[in-house]
Amino acid sequence: MTNRIKELRARYMLTQEDLAKKVGVRRETIVFLEKGKYNPSLKLAYDVSKALNSKIDEVFLFEE
Amino acid sequence: MKKGLLIILIAIMVIVTVGLWYSNITKPTEPTDIAMIGIIVLIVGFALFMAYTRIKSAKAGLKHEDELSKKIMQKTASISFYVSLYWWLFLGYYSDKIELESHTIIGIGIAGMAVLFAGFWFYFNYRGRFND
Repeated sequence: MTNRIKELRARYMLTQEDLAKKVGVRRETIVFLEKGKYNPSLKLAYDVSKALNSKIDEVFLFEE
Repeated sequence: MKKGLLIILIAIMVIVTVGLWYSNITKPTEPTDIAMIGIIVLIVGFALFMAYTRIKSAKAGLKHEDELSKKIMQKTASISFYVSLYWWLFLGYYSDKIELESHTIIGIGIAGMAVLFAGFWFYFNYRGRFND
């Protein structure tokens, strides 16, 4: 699964720390998410998408 | 923040206890004693590092624990336990061949478990890859 977190974060001029505070997670979690090293839970995916004013499938891209 | 300060307090108590123990040793210092002190210093150093990251996160207004950190801790604990079983089997096998007192072997066993835990924690924390 890939994601557009970095791209959307840049669009809203958010640092990783800003996004982590908005979502309520550690900055390291945002780093791992952006690098694709961690697949978030549904709740976390929803919270990240909400923080980036986007839908889940606009942020996280499932590849078959 | 409170948990970070508590970790620092416990680390200080461990250092003081080890210092008191070492100051009361009457027999000459053996290499195993130095090794044990070194491992205790490593473990205390790891605890202080954890406390530092907690306090730093609290001051930045960030959460210290989240789903990923809990997942890392669970994976670390389970792998450490599994590997520790083999560590104790190894110690048990070589305790007959090496002339060591039983309390020294127990100390080595416990210190080894702590080192394993810290090592796996660093590995999983910096490697990531939880897409199983």
